[in-house]
Amino acid sequence: MAIEPQRPAQGEKAGPVDHVLDAIARLGTAVSSVLLVTLIAIFGWLVWGRYVMNDTPTWVEQASLMIVSWIVFISAAVGVREHTHLRIEFIRDLFPDPIRITLEYVSDLLMLGFGAVMFWQGLGLLGPNWDRAVPMLGISESWRFLAFCVCGGLIVVFSLARIIDRLRGVGRDGPKATPADGAL
Amino acid sequence: MGLFILFGLFFFGLIAGVPVAFALGIATVAGFLYEGLPLFVAFQRIMSGISVFSLLAIPFFIFAGELMLHGGIAARLVRLAAAAVGAMRGGLGVVNVAASMLFGGISGSAVADTSALGSILMPVMKEKGYDPDYAVNVTVTSSIAGVVIPPSHNMILFAVAAGGGISVSKLFLAGVVPGILMCVCLAVAAYLVAVKRGYKAEVFPGWTSLAISFAVALPGLFTAVIIVGGVLSGVMTVTESGAFGAIYAIVVTALVYRELTWEGFRTAVVRAVRTTSMVMVLVGCASAFAYLLAIYRVPDHLAMALYSVSENPVVILLTLNFLLLILGMIMDMAALILICTPIFLPVVIGLDMDPLQFGIIMMMNLGLGLCTPPVGACLFVGCAIGGVKIEDAVKTIWPFYLAILVALMLVTYVPAISMTLPGLID
Repeated sequence: MAIEPQRPAQGEKAGPVDHVLDAIARLGTAVSSVLLVTLIAIFGWLVWGRYVMNDTPTWVEQASLMIVSWIVFISAAVGVREHTHLRIEFIRDLFPDPIRITLEYVSDLLMLGFGAVMFWQGLGLLGPNWDRAVPMLGISESWRFLAFCVCGGLIVVFSLARIIDRLRGVGRDGPKATPADGAL
Repeated sequence: MGLFILFGLFFFGLIAGVPVAFALGIATVAGFLYEGLPLFVAFQRIMSGISVFSLLAIPFFIFAGELMLHGGIAARLVRLAAAAVGAMRGGLGVVNVAASMLFGGISGSAVADTSALGSILMPVMKEKGYDPDYAVNVTVTSSIAGVVIPPSHNMILFAVAAGGGISVSKLFLAGVVPGILMCVCLAVAAYLVAVKRGYKAEVFPGWTSLAISFAVALPGLFTAVIIVGGVLSGVMTVTESGAFGAIYAIVVTALVYRELTWEGFRTAVVRAVRTTSMVMVLVGCASAFAYLLAIYRVPDHLAMALYSVSENPVVILLTLNFLLLILGMIMDMAALILICTPIFLPVVIGLDMDPLQFGIIMMMNLGLGLCTPPVGACLFVGCAIGGVKIEDAVKTIWPFYLAILVALMLVTYVPAISMTLPGLID
């Protein structure tokens, strides 16, 4: 799918906070990318071990599920910053400006609330799972749920930044998506 | 009331512009709160929804598709298709359909197909005197082959959303004939429109040139053989064959074709990560959403509503097709597969339809939705590459829609089209 990061609106002036948040988003993308390459490499090892060495590395399945959950939740948060998630905007854009702007705030507030709940519930799942080991890996199940905390926390921060940007009149939605943007 | 809150908040979120995955998540959280269910269960469902081994094939398929885009495989498939069918009247239109069939058979993504083949074929078509709207229409509609012809990560989503009782290898087999049938219908439409508009045929390059094109494209085509062959033979799981296919695509594009640059590799990884995350968050949130759908017995209510309209299976199937088409016009394919499968599947099973056949019907319907306004990823990408306004493309696209609908109706009402091949491996 053609999913490109949202370009900032023309004339938008990014402040120091924006630079920090963009750097966090870039770091998130870099970490997820390294994890994806790692995922491919360990699967290469699995196929090699199973079909060539006749010795299946049993840890690969659980390790790959752990890796993919981190890829998914880190990138999901980055997607909130870069506005790359699939959404339907044409209905909202049909409304007159006051309603449309209100809906934009409501959308960001709903995201902020969901991020907070995700963070809180992730935190709640850390304790009970701390002593449960992931089979074949030996590490705690809590590592899996920590991804919720990271994702939820980042969604809260990124959504809050969007709301503040809107209040400052420098919304990051930028120009409306056109076919040339290849964006949905 | 709980059901009203669940769907009401979901649709309100969509209208407000909340990402589809998070609209599902927010509605689910509200549903859990209303029912007094512990919230951590919703998040455990989200995590268990994505922690499915066969879903790991999705990042591999997407990554392999991105590599093909940046590593020269697509260009060689176009050359092969041009050598094979370019001499027909309106040849480049038919070449476009044939190339989509070959490329879609490897990449498994309609949008990857549109951007890969569109960027190669549309400039050539315009240079040879084809109208830009024709070039866009053929490219966009034929890209649906990517989701119907195996391998297709959307089929894996369907298998997972159906509760895991569906064999992915059988689903892959079920898509082969419908995919080819749809491409034949599209080729006929492309030919008829070309004749009407007076486009000329290309010169046949000769059998030697055809053989050379085939030999050059063969290493790229072999990616599909590895992925599909690995699954169908039972030698590898779908996840293993996806990973092996991705590694093979790296080897072919970097070492055989020598067109994969570091920048191309980096872009492929980043885009694969973004798309994977988008799809998998949808999977997780839809899994928690489906938990509430089951509690509210939504499939039972839908079945009763449909039976109250008519008990005739023909009418019910037509209604389901219509519903999927309308939903496909406004929502993304992955989201709809995950939301609609648990709702619609029990209804069609009640009509004695095989889930495999319904899976293919769903792929075709929602694939068509990718080519229709107001929300059609392939249409948007195709129009952007072809430099054509969406409204101009849509004015002349109807013969191609018609071709897909003919194929869809045949697949819906003639089970043998989708069920013969899977029946061979029982």
